[in-house]
Amino acid sequence: MQRDVGSLPLAPALRARLIAAGFQTAQELLETGPCGLSKEIGISKEEALEALQVVRQECHGGAAGTAGGSGATRKCTALELLEEEQAQGFIITFCSALDNILGGGVQLTKITEICGAPGVGKTQLCMQLAVDVQIPECFGGVAGEAVFIDTEGSFMVERVADIAAACVQHCQLIAEAHQEEDHLKALEMFSLESILSHIYYFRCRDYIELLAQVYLLPDFLSEHSKVRLVVVDGIAFPFRHDFEDLSLRTRLLNGLAQQLIIIANDHKSAVVLTNQMTTRIGQSQSTLVPALGESWGHAATVRLIFHWDNSQRAGLWRMILEAQKNEDNPSRNSWQRYTNHRVRRSQPYHITLHLMASEMCSLQLSLRM
Amino acid sequence: MCCSARRCNQEMNWEQFDLNPKVVAALKKALQLYQDHLTSQHQKLSLGCSVLDNLLKGGIPLEGITELAGESSAGKTQISLQLCLCVQYPYKYGGLESGAVYICTEDIFPSKRLQQLIEQQRKMRTDVPAEIIQKIKFGNSIFVEHAADLDTFHNCITKRISLLLTRGMVRLVIIDSLAALFRCEFGASDSVTKARYLQTFGAQLHSLSTRFRTPILCINQVTDAVSELEAAQGSCSVADNKAYPALGITWANQLLMRLMVSRVPQPERSPGAASHHSGSVHYVREIATSAFPQSYLFKGAAAISMWKRAAG
Repeated sequence: MQRDVGSLPLAPALRARLIAAGFQTAQELLETGPCGLSKEIGISKEEALEALQVVRQECHGGAAGTAGGSGATRKCTALELLEEEQAQGFIITFCSALDNILGGGVQLTKITEICGAPGVGKTQLCMQLAVDVQIPECFGGVAGEAVFIDTEGSFMVERVADIAAACVQHCQLIAEAHQEEDHLKALEMFSLESILSHIYYFRCRDYIELLAQVYLLPDFLSEHSKVRLVVVDGIAFPFRHDFEDLSLRTRLLNGLAQQLIIIANDHKSAVVLTNQMTTRIGQSQSTLVPALGESWGHAATVRLIFHWDNSQRAGLWRMILEAQKNEDNPSRNSWQRYTNHRVRRSQPYHITLHLMASEMCSLQLSLRM
Repeated sequence: MCCSARRCNQEMNWEQFDLNPKVVAALKKALQLYQDHLTSQHQKLSLGCSVLDNLLKGGIPLEGITELAGESSAGKTQISLQLCLCVQYPYKYGGLESGAVYICTEDIFPSKRLQQLIEQQRKMRTDVPAEIIQKIKFGNSIFVEHAADLDTFHNCITKRISLLLTRGMVRLVIIDSLAALFRCEFGASDSVTKARYLQTFGAQLHSLSTRFRTPILCINQVTDAVSELEAAQGSCSVADNKAYPALGITWANQLLMRLMVSRVPQPERSPGAASHHSGSVHYVREIATSAFPQSYLFKGAAAISMWKRAAG
């Protein structure tokens, strides 16, 4: 309060006038008030008000010390963070092995990246998640809405309709088994039309449109506060051609990652991205790695990599699922799970799962028909 | 499962959203897309065969690159020629009322086979009345381009095809085949340059396809080289052969849908059968789209062997 006027962060001209008028400490300024100040120095009332606001902020900031008094940052303990995270729901994928690996499902407020060879099922999984996020809370879902940003044009509406119908059917079976009041009430709102009408679809044709869309997304999300999932299907596709300047690409991708992290945190939604695989040519052999480079690898919290593994029988594929960078797993290299993924022809979408434990870790065998 | 689209007619009040007009323009709810899909009939290009159309849920999609891969004499050229004819039918019969561009990179255009197919159209398309078939001048609307090297090909897809597409004269582009362009000019050490070309071509074709809502069909050959890397990428086995589409993962990333055609010889039914077409059954397998659950074998024998007979 006894702060010298000369040290306040005001415009130099204004400071000179204050000193010439005889003000010496910040306290004197605050006591005079805006009207008196404007009369004394000869500035407009708005300018005087602004100056006093700055002075007040400076003084209160100083008085509070280092305990972070201003409203821009908030402090909380790690215990509070843990409780907050545990209380949050997961978006289940209807594939129990995948849910187990992810620790319950796709987590809200985190970025999950799905990588894999072409045709392995990345877009399918995204479409499934866009339906699953809408499952009512009494059935174990988060009852949210979904935003689907498509860069490759691989979003097939009739497929989503199939998935939605199967999901509704599944919930109906549960409701029939349990016969509870809230289940039946929730089912009335959960139908094919309502599911489709709560998936907001954006089509972006190049990287500029994609960047614009992601930067405009917070406005959209503040209007639609029920959105709990943002899917960007094909984050690699618009960035992998026509880019002579790779450092520009890295900068753009970093900005994009930051924006997505902000969206995930502020709106408590899960962000799911799909990425392509590319060949890294080593000295003796080449390996398949996720595209967009090493620095992009830090953008996602959880990275799922799907591989093909040939089986003897035609029509039965094994997906080797590697979950990298999952915070729960201490050593990611020694941890691999093999899942059998067979799709039934009769139903539009259903995964039959066999989980085979590897020698490294023990898993519960979970068989889901 | 389905409700009628009319029942779901909701009024959207756009004024309540104080959004950037571009966002409003780009916003399309999945329900609206679904309604469009239910009401419009020409969301896919039919293949002229109900069996294959059922496999592909209507036909090949209008936006995006579709690949047709298989060994030689499996039936790829047959299907693509048939598509050139199918696209010229009216919307009601699954066509797009427009012509087709056929880009050849190695062989000459099979005009003789095309003529035979044109003559047999009445027999093959029994769902279309004869007067309509007679009215369509099939040969006039098929444009043939030859591109034997990369620069000619690049020029073709950037300048020449866009001209035809802007005028609405074609609504199907067939490329036979892309692998041939890369076989001679690139060795094992040029993979980076090759990947860059493939990505550029893929992006250009993709943008053409979305701008003009035109299906692009790329015919691809298969290679037999099997290594650990390729096994991890996913090879499609028919019986014991491991046939793997050429051009690798860089090209595969650009595709929307991949169809594998293969021919499995059947044991001869009657001794002394003269024709070499008698005993073969063609399988069409669909892999790698977001639309369908994973691959299942499908016998298109009746349809495809009919085409083979028509070709003589």
